[in-house]
Amino acid sequence: MKTSDYIYISGKKENKRIPSRVLEEIILKQIKSGNRKLEIDAFGQHGIGGRLWEATDKTIIRILGHSGQRTGSMGNANTTIEVMGPASDDIGWLNAGAQIIVHGNASNGAMNGAAQGKVYIGGNIGARAMTMTKHNPRFKPPELWVLGTAGDYFGEFMAGGIAVICGQNSQAKNSILGHRPLVGMVGGTVFVRGEVNGFSQKDAKIIPMSDKNWKWLVTNLEKFLNKIKKPELMTTFSDRSAWKILTSKTPQEKANGSEKASISWFKTQVWDKELGQGGLIGDLQEVEKGSIPLIARAKLRRYIPVWEQGKYISPCQAGCPTGIPVQDRWAMVRADNIDEAIGMGLSYTPFPATVCGYLCPGPCMASCTRNLASMPPIDVRLLGRAGKDLPPPLPNNKKSKKKIAVIGAGPGGISAAWHLTLKGHTATLFETSNTIGGKISSAIPDSRIPGQTLDTELRRVKDLIADIRLEQEIDHTKFSKIKKDYDFTIIAAGAKKPISLPIKGIEMTIPANDFLETAKQNPPKIGKKIVIIGAGNVGCDVATEAHRLGARQITLIDVQKPAAFGQEKEDAQKCGAKFKWPVFTKQITSKGVLLQGGELLSADTIVISIGDIPDLGFIKDTLTMENGFITVDKNGCTSDPRIFALGDVVGPGLITDAIGGGKQTALYIDQIIAGKKPDQAKPLPVINQNRICLEYYDPRNQADGLSDCGADCASCGNCRDCGICVAICPEAAIERKTLAESEFEYLVDPDRCIGCGFCKGACPCGIWDLVPNTPL
Amino acid sequence: MSSNRNLEPSSLSLNDLPWQIKYNNNRCTLCGQCTAVCPVKAIELKVFQKRTIKASIKKDAVPSNQYDSFYAIQQRTDVENACIGCAMCTMACPNDAIAPVKNPGLDRMKFHINQQGVPRRRGGRRNASGSILDRIKFTRISMLTDPALDAGRHEFEMRTLLGRVLSPRENMKRLREKGWIPPVRQIYPLIIGGMSFGALSPNMWEGLQMGVAYLNEEMGMPVRMCTGEGGCPPRLLRSRFLKYVILQVASGYFGWDEIIHAIPHMKEDPCAIEIKYGQGAKPGDGGLLMWHKVNKLIAAIRGVPQGVSLPSPPTHQTQYSIEESVAKMILSMSMAWGFRVPVYPKISASSTSLAVLNNLTRNDYASGLAIDGEDGGTGAAYSVSMDHMGHPIASCIRDNYLNLTKIGKQNEIPIFAGGGIGKNGNIAANAASLIMLGASGVQIGKYLMQAAAGCVGTEEDRCNVCNLGICPKGITSQDPRLYRRLDPENVAQRIVDLFVSFDTELKKIVAPLGRSTSLPIGMSDALGIDDHAIAKRLNINYVV
Repeated sequence: MKTSDYIYISGKKENKRIPSRVLEEIILKQIKSGNRKLEIDAFGQHGIGGRLWEATDKTIIRILGHSGQRTGSMGNANTTIEVMGPASDDIGWLNAGAQIIVHGNASNGAMNGAAQGKVYIGGNIGARAMTMTKHNPRFKPPELWVLGTAGDYFGEFMAGGIAVICGQNSQAKNSILGHRPLVGMVGGTVFVRGEVNGFSQKDAKIIPMSDKNWKWLVTNLEKFLNKIKKPELMTTFSDRSAWKILTSKTPQEKANGSEKASISWFKTQVWDKELGQGGLIGDLQEVEKGSIPLIARAKLRRYIPVWEQGKYISPCQAGCPTGIPVQDRWAMVRADNIDEAIGMGLSYTPFPATVCGYLCPGPCMASCTRNLASMPPIDVRLLGRAGKDLPPPLPNNKKSKKKIAVIGAGPGGISAAWHLTLKGHTATLFETSNTIGGKISSAIPDSRIPGQTLDTELRRVKDLIADIRLEQEIDHTKFSKIKKDYDFTIIAAGAKKPISLPIKGIEMTIPANDFLETAKQNPPKIGKKIVIIGAGNVGCDVATEAHRLGARQITLIDVQKPAAFGQEKEDAQKCGAKFKWPVFTKQITSKGVLLQGGELLSADTIVISIGDIPDLGFIKDTLTMENGFITVDKNGCTSDPRIFALGDVVGPGLITDAIGGGKQTALYIDQIIAGKKPDQAKPLPVINQNRICLEYYDPRNQADGLSDCGADCASCGNCRDCGICVAICPEAAIERKTLAESEFEYLVDPDRCIGCGFCKGACPCGIWDLVPNTPL
Repeated sequence: MSSNRNLEPSSLSLNDLPWQIKYNNNRCTLCGQCTAVCPVKAIELKVFQKRTIKASIKKDAVPSNQYDSFYAIQQRTDVENACIGCAMCTMACPNDAIAPVKNPGLDRMKFHINQQGVPRRRGGRRNASGSILDRIKFTRISMLTDPALDAGRHEFEMRTLLGRVLSPRENMKRLREKGWIPPVRQIYPLIIGGMSFGALSPNMWEGLQMGVAYLNEEMGMPVRMCTGEGGCPPRLLRSRFLKYVILQVASGYFGWDEIIHAIPHMKEDPCAIEIKYGQGAKPGDGGLLMWHKVNKLIAAIRGVPQGVSLPSPPTHQTQYSIEESVAKMILSMSMAWGFRVPVYPKISASSTSLAVLNNLTRNDYASGLAIDGEDGGTGAAYSVSMDHMGHPIASCIRDNYLNLTKIGKQNEIPIFAGGGIGKNGNIAANAASLIMLGASGVQIGKYLMQAAAGCVGTEEDRCNVCNLGICPKGITSQDPRLYRRLDPENVAQRIVDLFVSFDTELKKIVAPLGRSTSLPIGMSDALGIDDHAIAKRLNINYVV
């Protein structure tokens, strides 16, 4: 079978196929001995013609019969292999330079992993050809030439090299490159004659045929056709328009992804077109579309600030039974309107100095927000006392013709008559005693109130109220007449009847009020030892007075924890008074107070101070009563709409309660007289004290002067006009606007405001609040 | 806080709160953005005092003391304004000066969150990060055994069947006899579970639907989305997109009159009807849409008054047994669309789920069974239900699937799994685990909200205010001021992203198993876990 100058090697020996290993040994031996042309009659041996590293010059291997798998694998650059029939799998596997010509078809895996060399196939190839091929820049790229078509998964992970697929006699209708070619391609070029479909769009792209590429193709096609002995096809293959070039996408192109429709396009062209303008709920909702930023302004703010000046009253004002707007007065002090600050007291009370300055226990100060931070409350007594010498205010000069009788010229009655007079009505005070002022004048010890102050203020009352009738005994007849003669009658007769105890010897005790009254006017002899039954504030006053009159062993007893508090209790303690409780009195003897359990508290004088009740015999069941007190509504109106009652006749209370009651009743009667529907509006709510910011104040400061107190007042719910909100607003959205008559307001520009609430957080007075915006 | 106040039992300090604001006054520019965005007003500007004392022992020096005030952000400590950890402050802060930090100590607020006798309610999740699904590994890797496939280059048939598949013999018989053959849909195995229009904001819902339409029409992925119980916007009912929609009916029947009115005008049948009997997050409790969220639009779509809380009854009121439910509901719903639409119930995972399944297997009209496990999410529920009621999904799916194999019907009635899939971000692995345990597909909700809309919820009790309508991302709010933060187009884009990436991941899991032509439903020999008891319970491999 030997032909020409080739050395013939049979793949069989004694009719048996020789193993691949033995054939390899024979081939290498021939090469070693210098033979360069071998003709191998193969019987499917593996890898024939590869790895001929020892052949340093041109070597030709011609393969007859069945070429096995991986023919020419790891081929050397000097090697040329010509397979005279078809080739099996992986022809040119890991080719490093060999030229391989196959005159038939090649099965799967042609050129897999090759980096150099050329493989020419004169037929079709199977699956996964040209996969994982490379191009090392030190060498020329590998080339795969195929006359017919490629099988599936062509060019997977191709990283370099050139493949030319001529598509001659293609059986595949729509793809010369089979199913899903070029997946994972990162380099190299593929020339294809005919249709290509389904290649990986992610990895590869079709590019136009350049002249340079075309020239290269034409030149090399001729060589290829000559190698496979089909030069006559050159004319057919010269139709440039039938050829395509595929190359890998660049990493940038891959990163951009394949050409997909954008969502915006889809929304306008598909979504909205199918559903209608406005999309899914365009027919149901008018809400504006479009996204909004995280920090939104104007109507898109979730919260909005509100300047709540005048919406709330301060805790001090709310705490004052007389309703004096204490924080307004301090605001005037801060504005240097000290006279006005002091003077306005008389618009609320006839006794600014006596009561506010001395006798009132100060519910306003007890309510002061500063207490929350354990800071001393602002001392309102200073303002009160400063009002001592104020002239009487001028009454409304539009005199009404209405006459109101006030029975009782104690603090409540005086307050009612005072306010009625100021409103322009005629008030007549009826008083049983020979002086006005009630308990202030008669029962409160001089130690608690300088006599001159009280006298000054009582004089002012007399100056304002023209008709004061003293020493008027009021019985039922008189009462009925007053009722008839006057448009309205106010009962402010106080509680003068001492409460007694149903025990033996009670007649030996002195009622507290009698004791205090005589102590002031006509001091009696009381001895060294005094026992006071009932340890309230009145009891304390008794103790203080008793000490002044010479008592040195003073005992206050009570059945429960003593109710005394404040100045009265302190004064009594200073006098050495001892409090004893709980103890129960069994009997009064000439020696003293005998307690249940047998203990005797020896005493020279025994005072009973367990409270007083009104003495209301004169009304004779004409009004609804409860527990000895007249039943009234919040305006002091009794069961008879023309009769009002206030002060201790409606229930025990502080002087300021009676003054406040007088004011309330007076204003109510004034509204009735004016024909107005009495103002039933709820009073303004008290500001939430948590809104007030006390961190601006020095907690160690003990304000003493008026201006110091003004500065330290937290001005709860009453704008100080400090401008901190304007400064703190990060968006410069707050502006101060001056109104007429030194009025002002703070305005928010909604287009700037972001609703952060900084104005609220920084406001010293709690004026700013942050509230949810109106729902859209 | 006033120093002079009285302590109450529920007076809390910062130390007691579950989330604490860490704030850096040096970096803060006092711009107000953090307080403006905080959804619960947990932070506010506050005036603080600073005292400086100047003292010296030098002769003539007079020690002095001075108070100054300064401004800073302060966290509130009252229960209703407690920080929820959403970190919107951090999102807004231009200077990185503020961030919520989880209190590493005991959350003492837990003991006070029942003010006025109302137990805690919340939205979101169970807040338990453990996941059996995360622990399951795919241990059967084909290398030289089965054909090893490449996720990148091979074609995969990632589809599942929703509908009753008759046995070949029965199918042939009916074909011959021209009998009724149950409808079957070929759909993508990752299904968007029922989240109602109402529970979700309009923008979120539209974004989801738009993304689903895009996936179907531009990407060729037959993804389906369930409406949840809250009706369906009339326009969608009359559009071709309806075929991508699974309509849900639940015990409240909200919005069903609109659906009925639309039936004669439907261009397409819906994909399927899901009858909701239970929800994994709160088994045995009905749906709950709190009044904060029932605005004009929601009220209109649901046919209810505005501003009222909308609880759904825990059970369908006219059904007292499985048999009755199956007979009545499945038949009624099948009839409404001329028996052309698959109808299946959805139940919460339970130790009684098998009874439901067994019943369904005997009824041709039942197209499948969806089971929702304890890790499922919710828009609103009592915490006690979320934390302590429910059944894990893995063993429930497994029991049901094995029961089907026992009666030879594992290819006939699909089971869909929901609840906690991707709760820690491992969505494809969790889905593949459930599929290999026997699910034909999985339903997801929370994962979507996180991936597609930026939900800030985590398993650490973060945010969880879906019930209050104050979702800082606009996902579960009906307030345009919040939901307009969310652009439906962006949601749609993220839906597309996540489904495409899920698809790749799922292929990365099934390719090494050598499966490409069908989903590996019930292919439990591929699963392993490093816990012997779990392996035994799930009937999968024990691997260490």
